[in-house]
Amino acid sequence: MDTLLFSERSLWTMLHGVVLGGGSLMALAASLFSLCSMRAVATSGAAADQQARHLATLLVLTAVLLWLALLVGTYITFPPYRAAPPEGLTDLSAYPRALIRANPATAWLHSFAMETKEHVPWIAAMLATAVAAVCLRYRSQVLSDRPLNGMATAVVTICLLLVAYAGVLGVFVNKVAPLE
Amino acid sequence: MDPKYHEGARPNGAALAAFLAAGIGGFAMGLIVILSETGVFEAPVLYEPAGGVSGRTTLAVVVWLVAWAALHARWKAREVAHRGVATAALLLLLSGIALCTPPIWGLFS
Repeated sequence: MDTLLFSERSLWTMLHGVVLGGGSLMALAASLFSLCSMRAVATSGAAADQQARHLATLLVLTAVLLWLALLVGTYITFPPYRAAPPEGLTDLSAYPRALIRANPATAWLHSFAMETKEHVPWIAAMLATAVAAVCLRYRSQVLSDRPLNGMATAVVTICLLLVAYAGVLGVFVNKVAPLE
Repeated sequence: MDPKYHEGARPNGAALAAFLAAGIGGFAMGLIVILSETGVFEAPVLYEPAGGVSGRTTLAVVVWLVAWAALHARWKAREVAHRGVATAALLLLLSGIALCTPPIWGLFS
């Protein structure tokens, strides 16, 4: 085969956005559903312990996916995105940041979208780690203790919104200036 | 059922320490970003190809972990009034998120 279907940079971008980012979004949605639905039926005993164990596993998975998405995004896909093109180059397609900034209609994708994406998802990862640690420590108490369940639900909701927000911004950037 | 009446229920201090530390970490991220954008403080670049974001995010993570460790050590065996701590965590978190948003940077520069 003469040409590869996907470049290495493109594969890393898909791993970052689709596998890790998308996976964490699904895991967050499942965690939120579990936190809300299990509290209604949770009592003490073996069944509640088992439910809580599944929830803790899901939240740990969520946190791991989010941290991996951040590390891949920041240290593998972001450097080629922000690379400066050589002086005088007219075809900027290999330099996404320069390409986006060259057009006033798309400049906001860097100045707003990418600047937001650089930092906000790290806050989401802190939140996911906190709620995973709480579920690991408290187990079924997270389902039966109303204030604790309320706080965990609020944290997972905020985390889900932040990751979804960053994901949508990432899709916009990648549609206009993909890392090929 | 209120957990306070469960036999063997753990005190809520460790949970509140985790949530408040996440709020502090979020606020630290926002503060570091706004200080960088206004030229007051620039975190060191830890990985040149990624630029300043490597230092800013690492510093915020360190603040988060230190805050978590300190709060956990103080509260892990205590029952803490959750309402005040939850409100503080939420306010810190929302402030941090706002400070990471470019339109807000214009208000400070």
